[in-house]
Amino acid sequence: MIGRIKDFLGFDIKADKYKLSSDPLFGIISDEKKPDKWVFSTCGYCGVGCGLHIGVKDGKAVYTKGNPAHGVNMGTLCPKGLSEHQMINSGDRVTTPLIKKDDELVYASWDDAYTKVAREFKRIASEHGEKAVGVISTGQLLTEEFYTLGKFVQLGLGTNNYDGNTTLCMASAVMGYKQSLGSDGPVGSYEDFQYANTIILIGANISDNHPILKLHIAKNEKKPKIIVIDPRASKTSQMADLFVPIKPRTDLALFNGLAYIVMEQGWEDEGYIKANTNGYKELKKHLQNYPPQEVSNITGIDVKTLYEIARQFVAQESVLSAWTMGVNQSFMGTDTVSAIINLHLLTGQIGREGAGPFSITGQCNAMGTRESGFTSSLPGYRNFGDEKALSDYAKIAKVPEDIVPTERGYKYAEIIDAIDRGEIKALWVVATNPLVSFVNQDKLRKTFAKLDMLVVQDAFMSDTAEIADVVFSAATWGEKEGTYTNSERRCNRANKAVEPLSNTKSDFDIIVDFSKHFDGVNELLFPSWEKPIDAFNEFKELTRGQLCDYTGITYELLEKEGGIQWPCNEERPLGTKRLYSPDIPFRTKDEKANLIIADWFPMNEAVTKEFPLILNTGRTVEQWHTRTKTRSIDILNDLAPEAWVDINPVDAKKLKVKSGDRISLSSPRGRVEDVVVRVSQSVAPSNVFVPFHFNTQLINKLTSESFCPKSGEPNYKQTAIQLHSDEVPDGIEFESEEISGEITHVKSKFEGIALQEKEKIVLNEK
Amino acid sequence: MQTPLESFIDHKADTGMQCGNYSIDIPDLKDGEQYRFHFDATACVGCHCCEVACNEQNNNPADIKWRRVGEVEGGVFPQFSQIFNSMSCNHCIDPECLIGCPTESYIKIAETGIVIHDDDTCIGCQYCTWNCPYGVPTFHEERNIVTKCHMCYERLDVGQTPACVQACPSGAIEIETVNVQEWLERDIDDQANMPFLPDARITNSTTRYTLPENMPDDLKEVDEHILKPSHSEMPLVFMTVLTQVSLGGFLALFLGDVMSLFGFSQTNWIMALLVMLPAALGLPLSALHLGRPFLALTAMKNIKSSWLSREALALGVFVLLMNIVVVMYFVEAPHVSILLVELLTLVVGIYGIHAQAMIYRIKARPSWDRITTNFKFFGTLHVGILLLGLIAVIFGLKEVAIPLITLSMLGAISQLFFTYEDLRTLKSTTLNEYQLLRTARLYDENFSNVKRFRFISIVIGGLLLPLFTIVLFSTSSFGAASFVMFIALLLSISSEFSDRFLFYSTVVPLGMAGGFFVGKQRD
Repeated sequence: MIGRIKDFLGFDIKADKYKLSSDPLFGIISDEKKPDKWVFSTCGYCGVGCGLHIGVKDGKAVYTKGNPAHGVNMGTLCPKGLSEHQMINSGDRVTTPLIKKDDELVYASWDDAYTKVAREFKRIASEHGEKAVGVISTGQLLTEEFYTLGKFVQLGLGTNNYDGNTTLCMASAVMGYKQSLGSDGPVGSYEDFQYANTIILIGANISDNHPILKLHIAKNEKKPKIIVIDPRASKTSQMADLFVPIKPRTDLALFNGLAYIVMEQGWEDEGYIKANTNGYKELKKHLQNYPPQEVSNITGIDVKTLYEIARQFVAQESVLSAWTMGVNQSFMGTDTVSAIINLHLLTGQIGREGAGPFSITGQCNAMGTRESGFTSSLPGYRNFGDEKALSDYAKIAKVPEDIVPTERGYKYAEIIDAIDRGEIKALWVVATNPLVSFVNQDKLRKTFAKLDMLVVQDAFMSDTAEIADVVFSAATWGEKEGTYTNSERRCNRANKAVEPLSNTKSDFDIIVDFSKHFDGVNELLFPSWEKPIDAFNEFKELTRGQLCDYTGITYELLEKEGGIQWPCNEERPLGTKRLYSPDIPFRTKDEKANLIIADWFPMNEAVTKEFPLILNTGRTVEQWHTRTKTRSIDILNDLAPEAWVDINPVDAKKLKVKSGDRISLSSPRGRVEDVVVRVSQSVAPSNVFVPFHFNTQLINKLTSESFCPKSGEPNYKQTAIQLHSDEVPDGIEFESEEISGEITHVKSKFEGIALQEKEKIVLNEK
Repeated sequence: MQTPLESFIDHKADTGMQCGNYSIDIPDLKDGEQYRFHFDATACVGCHCCEVACNEQNNNPADIKWRRVGEVEGGVFPQFSQIFNSMSCNHCIDPECLIGCPTESYIKIAETGIVIHDDDTCIGCQYCTWNCPYGVPTFHEERNIVTKCHMCYERLDVGQTPACVQACPSGAIEIETVNVQEWLERDIDDQANMPFLPDARITNSTTRYTLPENMPDDLKEVDEHILKPSHSEMPLVFMTVLTQVSLGGFLALFLGDVMSLFGFSQTNWIMALLVMLPAALGLPLSALHLGRPFLALTAMKNIKSSWLSREALALGVFVLLMNIVVVMYFVEAPHVSILLVELLTLVVGIYGIHAQAMIYRIKARPSWDRITTNFKFFGTLHVGILLLGLIAVIFGLKEVAIPLITLSMLGAISQLFFTYEDLRTLKSTTLNEYQLLRTARLYDENFSNVKRFRFISIVIGGLLLPLFTIVLFSTSSFGAASFVMFIALLLSISSEFSDRFLFYSTVVPLGMAGGFFVGKQRD
């Protein structure tokens, strides 16, 4: 009472709470949060992989500070990284294992949770076969954990129906690298942003998604020409010298068209092509279908601009093409990646400072799971089906050959389909949240309801965890140790700063402990494994002689150097800045890169009378993925507390809405209500943009099940939709465009789409 | 820690930029120079790192932002322009926060030019939050005081980089030195302005902006759709109206006293007491809006430059003098001496209300900064005259009551005209048209009922009912006249309260453009 009165009268100005004091490491900082110690680590959000220090006070994380000696971020951090310590103490954490009883998740012991899941997995395996258990993991764990999880799932549970959310994200880049260069593995370094004469950003909104990369562009003293290719004038378009507003999903045609111009003008590097590539003649013949005028008609980019972009590849010493989800999340994503790589191979713009194709990764350790995770390949970039790879693996991992899988199982979307068909009965979801991030949400919910058992292993109470039968409460970033690999192949050290919250365990411990509930599995797979380093050492041995060679890497070296870019071995003790320099051959059998023949197809769900607009989805800098980590961090969440829809003033006028009004969006698959309108010229008429983070306005109710047949990656970026305002509830009337999207002599029906989509198209045509 | 990272404080990243560095090389300040921010809008990517870094540095909760990032956009797709503005304090050469602060809680450090806030002496009156055209000072409710950016001056003093500068991955925020005279004489108009930012000349802001070339003409703020009423400041609604009523009453009392020289009825102590009461009630009320009411009296400290200090002192003295007048009536002091004290009281009171009005004549708040504010503040006096009229009616003093009622009606007509004029000029003024039209929208969209009440109540309470009272009075229906007059007084004062409520609620301050979800308005 007295305190209240005193406070009302204003005696207390909380001066102590807000005073500053001097920290020996970082100088003058907030006194209340002045740490007892700083722990060297790496950011756990995105694939940029920033070095940082976690400040710990009384056993709690209180600060995150960028590491100025770390080459990736040089002391800076994005807003999520700066507030990352708040994430650990989020109110949305799952603090203890949970088991569903009478439709409610109740606290359980670890032993009960493991026993229940193990019993159910074993029952399903005996009744329906081991492959009736599916696993969907993530790009969020540490490499050691990925290796442990993959080994357990593939060799312990005996199911290869195992994939990660990386298939929603980087799979097209992976498959593109594989088919063009012979192996997965991003080519360049961030410092290439600093050295390139021309930087082409394709479907990459780095201002929102990877702001720290701007640091490397800012360092570029050549004043590089920046070309941004995107159907939306995103924040990133503002840094462009040339903004290229490409028509949605015509990127593949564009890169084929640019390659045509390169060949037509004789701008290719013949010597390089001859020495290093296969398939030149076939490509040249194929590209005759992509003359500039036709490509201009398809892409909406005028011919002069096409020549200007193509000319960069010969006029400039170094050209860097960086892309993210705009390219990958495409029903022809793999081939689009290859078309970009084609351009670089044709002009020899690869393997040099400032030059190369560069996929920017989404998640902190999507790369780690690609290298070690056992989903799209055997660990260490060994291909499924390669007998030598299999026996090598078995020998190094000391396991019988017959339990090593010979082929890849179902990809993400195929797992979902198999659940729908009743083929997969149990699903184990690790650190991902399909109930926000996957396409066609209404259907996905129904599909998940068919499962006998859904296990979710997560640090946060995600939408998917809410409907789980059992939840494994995981520790999160800062509470566990291991390594992350970033977009530039840099393996970074992440240390444990604080003890796992309450009754949570690191994913490594969860998997190893869980394996003890399966007869003999723990002894076979994880003999005397106690710490992540046990997994690291085994994985390291698996990479010997592979492209992702880790053999020269130690945890100590990672801290000392601020991360190491693989390959790192005796020859390259401090790693390798870029692949495919003259001394690093391509990873194909004949050590030559493949020029890939890639065809462009029009979208299979083009706009219709009923759904005349194209929805594009993406991200905003303040939020992370499905917001499980960021929604309780006020300073981030307040800046973007809900989804919005960018619509062009032309469409706003038709709908009689203005900024701040609320509208609904619909597609053949569902409807999203109550989305706030942002009228903006950042989108073209008939195009809208909505961020996908928000379960409150779940935009993935609308997106369709259209996938790249090679990578399995969904085509998130274009969905035909309708908008409904209060005044115009039926939405916008369709205005037919002049037909410009089809090349007559190319197949115009795309054959790679999932079966049910084909049926739908047939139905639509009737 | 056995790593090469042993001491970051001296670490300079290899960027050629201030960002990422924990220590900073700023040239020593020469005579006539001060530190300032440089913001490069062509480099900024709108990532909000600076905002978060600032709050992390200063331990501020999420809703206290010393640095904010706003956006303007324009053009036609694909020629689309989106321009960000990351702004904290502009460390002005003539800071309005400092000039207006009644407690002298702002310090412009002589050596560096950095404007800092002295937390200990702040009383949380928030006058600076009104005065700053950039909306920089922020009231921190948990602390009961205002807080603001201080350019991390303690860090700068020892060569360390301010948090925002260090955090920016684009190198868009820098610390520079500027020669004040050259800035004022040569560069400020070209380099200190930014679309939707108030004219830098208002406070002689020092922040240098680098803007894109060829900005489109049709730029708009992305928070244009966010139009919220300002804080209604209820304690101030009552304080200002009640002190003005007192002054009106006292003016009537004084006039009556003068008239009594010519044989009219003598004024008495009850009248003096009753006209004193509103102010005696209202003035302490104003302390309620302070974060730290126990320091209320220190508000009189800055007489030399703060209208708030002047008002506090003048009205304090005014109430004191009115008390003395009551006592003099009571002890039946010589008439001449009462008259002289009354005259003095009146002069002090008029100055007090003038100072009160001048508090609101600030450039940062365009709808306040108009002559009609002064007129309306004095226009409220008619209620005080009406109050004395009521007393006269109750006492049955016909020859006093009728002139007073007539005078109050004249006052009400004037006030009606001022109110009308105040509204009319909202829509016909070109300077700060943007803000004034938004104020007009608040009147029409958010408060149309209150506005209607204001006009109806002043017409009925200020004109029709007093007229009716005169009629009743003439027929010697004293009881009915008193009753009607009482209703008239209630309506009139409610009318003034409602108008004053609108005055505070509808102000649209100058400021930076905000974000789509986080508008520029702090409340």
